[in-house]
Amino acid sequence: MKVTVKRWHAIAQWQWDIGRTDEHGDAEEDVCGICRVPFEGCCPTCKVPGDDCPLIWGECSHVFHMHCLLKWIGTVASKQQCPMDRRPWVTAERKVTTNGS
Amino acid sequence: MSTVYTRRLSKELAEIQTETKPPIGIRLLKADDFETWIFEIEVLGDSLYRGERFGLKFRFDNSYPFSAPAVQFVVDSGMKAPVHPHVYTNGHICASILGDDWSPTLSVMAVCITIQSMLASCKRKELPEGNDTYVRTAPDNPKKTHFVYDDDTSPFPSNRV
Amino acid sequence: MASDALQKQVATKWQDSFNRLNRGYPGISGLMGFSEAWAIAADFLYPRELGDPPKDFNTQKVRSAFDVLIQCRMLPMLLESFVEDMRRRQHLITHDVMEFMAEYEASGDPDAIGRLILRLADWYMAWAPGGELGHTLSSAYIVNFQTHIFSILPPAFAGGFKRLIAATLALSTEPADAAGPSSVQDSKLWTSFELLGLADRYESLIASVCYEHIENHVLETCQGKWDEPMLSTLREWMADKVVPWMLLPYGRGAKTTEEARTMLQGVGSRFDFHVCKTLCDLRTKEIFDIIIDYPESSPALYDLKECLQRVDQRPQLVQALRKLNKRRLLHPGADTKDILTQYVSIIRCLRIIDPPGVLLFKVADPIRRYLRERPDTIRSIVASLVVDAESGDSLVDENEPIQPLQGPQVDDYMDPNWEPEPIDAGPEFRTNKPSDVISTLVSIYDSKDLFIKELQVLLAQRLLAIKDGNYEKERRNIEILKIRFGEAPLQVCEVMLKDMTDSRRIDQHVQSQTTSIMHPTIISRHFWPQLQSSKINMPGQLKDIQESYAREYTTFKPDKKLRWLSHLGSIHLDIELQDRTVTADVPPLEAAFIELFSEKDQWTVDELIARVGPVDRTTALKALLAWVDLGVLKEEEDSSFRLLEQADISGALRPSGSRVIMEDEPAVVSVQQQQAEQMKVFWKFIEGMLTNLGSLPLDRIQTMLKFAPGYDRTVDQLAAFMEAARREGLVTVREGMWKLNR
Repeated sequence: MKVTVKRWHAIAQWQWDIGRTDEHGDAEEDVCGICRVPFEGCCPTCKVPGDDCPLIWGECSHVFHMHCLLKWIGTVASKQQCPMDRRPWVTAERKVTTNGS
Repeated sequence: MSTVYTRRLSKELAEIQTETKPPIGIRLLKADDFETWIFEIEVLGDSLYRGERFGLKFRFDNSYPFSAPAVQFVVDSGMKAPVHPHVYTNGHICASILGDDWSPTLSVMAVCITIQSMLASCKRKELPEGNDTYVRTAPDNPKKTHFVYDDDTSPFPSNRV
Repeated sequence: MASDALQKQVATKWQDSFNRLNRGYPGISGLMGFSEAWAIAADFLYPRELGDPPKDFNTQKVRSAFDVLIQCRMLPMLLESFVEDMRRRQHLITHDVMEFMAEYEASGDPDAIGRLILRLADWYMAWAPGGELGHTLSSAYIVNFQTHIFSILPPAFAGGFKRLIAATLALSTEPADAAGPSSVQDSKLWTSFELLGLADRYESLIASVCYEHIENHVLETCQGKWDEPMLSTLREWMADKVVPWMLLPYGRGAKTTEEARTMLQGVGSRFDFHVCKTLCDLRTKEIFDIIIDYPESSPALYDLKECLQRVDQRPQLVQALRKLNKRRLLHPGADTKDILTQYVSIIRCLRIIDPPGVLLFKVADPIRRYLRERPDTIRSIVASLVVDAESGDSLVDENEPIQPLQGPQVDDYMDPNWEPEPIDAGPEFRTNKPSDVISTLVSIYDSKDLFIKELQVLLAQRLLAIKDGNYEKERRNIEILKIRFGEAPLQVCEVMLKDMTDSRRIDQHVQSQTTSIMHPTIISRHFWPQLQSSKINMPGQLKDIQESYAREYTTFKPDKKLRWLSHLGSIHLDIELQDRTVTADVPPLEAAFIELFSEKDQWTVDELIARVGPVDRTTALKALLAWVDLGVLKEEEDSSFRLLEQADISGALRPSGSRVIMEDEPAVVSVQQQQAEQMKVFWKFIEGMLTNLGSLPLDRIQTMLKFAPGYDRTVDQLAAFMEAARREGLVTVREGMWKLNR
């Protein structure tokens, strides 16, 4: 017998690749430490998730919704520090495409 | 209703009420809206405040969580602020996480726990220096006061500017 | 031995009488004259047999005879003797009456009664003293004659008389079948009624004949006839057929048409009222089926509206419809879809009858309460909201403009067109300005969030089923729904649509790099309703296809990866066997199983499950049996399945060729399931709340729960939930305060 697949209409969910390999995926979901919304959701000011509300990686390895982090960095109180570890925020050169608004 | 800050607060409230119950000694007294929440703080175990209960009041505005909530002890006919070198008799608290060291990744519960441990680790029950002067001139909102922190109530390692 | 005085008194009396009769004539000539006059008068008045030849009286002579008697003051005596004569001769009439009544009772023919009455009139005329003899005499005669008549008429007469009247009325209204009895047509009949005093004596009976006639006519012509206006036809019928007849009993003695019209006015209005009432009763009885027949039945509704303006039977209508709804609609056997359809018709129909909506409000209440209890109401409403060209059985009239949902309206007293509420509006009545049907349906529930959720589920099901990438219909649906529900609640649906577009764009890119037979729909997990989770592992080439696609995806979107929902979607494949090729379009699980059969020919169910992952046995068996149906697999006795490289001709012939995928279980978790799931979450909230705060009243729990994300229950729903929790022993309640049971 030979099975030939002619066409496959599949369903998938996209996920941010935040470098953690939890291949048994359903477990605890990662949320943005600032807004507490899952990364695959969108920050409180956005309505559409994904490329329109991307993530931002710090060199300190912390990840946030880009919009949340930028808002924090924009406050005087932040002193340009990562909200998690209070080290000066340096955006990692990782995959992120920061041309979103 | 569903603004950015209320969305975040409702998540926190959900966590407080369900998933992760507050640690022993911290009890939610009032959270009827997204403006003012009150917790009861009690220091258990061996401490100067054994048997005392305090009310910790949070006031939020729409800058939360990008700026800290206004946090102070409840001082009214029934409740008093703890006698503590960083707590004024009007309830205001001098703690860095409520000011310079605030981070949006902190939460209401994190503040409660920090304050609880601040009390637990206290060695001497005494009022802050210049308490009377401060209390006479203090603004209603403790956030308007610029405190100088002389003790480490920051949850972060010592990398303050 | 009478005393002198007595003798003297008698003598005086006698002298008086003599003088009166003799009237001062010489001798006894006066007395003689009196005697003669008496004889003439008595003979004149004597009640004769009808057949007898009339005596030839000289009117002048009779007149003067009566004058003499009046002078002698003997008229009362004469009258007495006349009455006595009538009594003695009464047997003549009695005889006739018996004869006619016997005939009537034998035949039941009202004609006998008619002839009897004509005969009685003849007797009356024959015995009548004649009006010129003075009022006293004639009125005494009428009274006595009628008394006699009524005393001898048997009880059966009333029934016969009624039938006679009915016959005259039938003759007037249906002259077509007027082979009626002759006496009925006799024009003298009604004068006879008058003469004999029957018209007055049986007045109410005559009216009842007319009422019954109207009732029968309305039933005959209008029952079940809803597609044309009947009230105007009935009124024409009244004017043409009944009014001419009414002139007989009610226009008696009218000299001009004008006069007759005035006389008929009161009674005519009574009969018109009766027409309206009868029609109103009939339509009230029929209302449920009239509503089913809407819009064909709208003429009947307009009739009913007009009748109700004349006859105040609104409470009866409300009661009847509520009763009918309860019996025929609001029972477990009725389909929710049917209940909704009928409710929508009720809305439309009652708006015709009563535009302010008071009737609707009263009738709708039980329906709405009932619908609220039904678990699938929202789903049914939502299904009808989403326009589906194929099914076409939408509750919504396509001609109705799409408009935003309307909330309950508050009276605007500044509105110049404001009108007070109708008087029968109850205290809870809310002015229900003609809002559209959808708003009315959605308002069954306090919150429209439930609809939004159900809409999302429905939309998700439909979007995931789309294989050809054409979701324009769904886009249009969402545009329409946005108008109704507003933009914000449909935001997640927008994301769903965007996912569809993005999936296509991504697929185009991936295909341009490495052609793949796979075309996935890639969704944003938090914006789609909960999908049934099941993590099946695709084996063999299927896994390769997934992996290679996922790789290509990550190359295109470096910071993202794909997580397959392997159990969803469908796979189109060819299975080449030794003697045949089977083509099928199957769910992924079926494809996974058949792919495994290319490793070896025989598998047990447990082996297959072990390879594929978490699948329950029933689901697995169902998938395998699908292949058995296609003649590709055969079930062996040891509950294993074997591949049929060569068609099993010994078995029943299987329909070969392609098969359409059966969509039995929706991939998306229904709102109901979600709700049960959610309530568990809310229980944790409540538990936390009660742990922290001790005991709380219900409304306080409700207030606090409102902060819980996604909480949208009403306080009633919460009460029901708490009650259930109490039954399970989780909480206790005392004086309205709920507490954890510890």
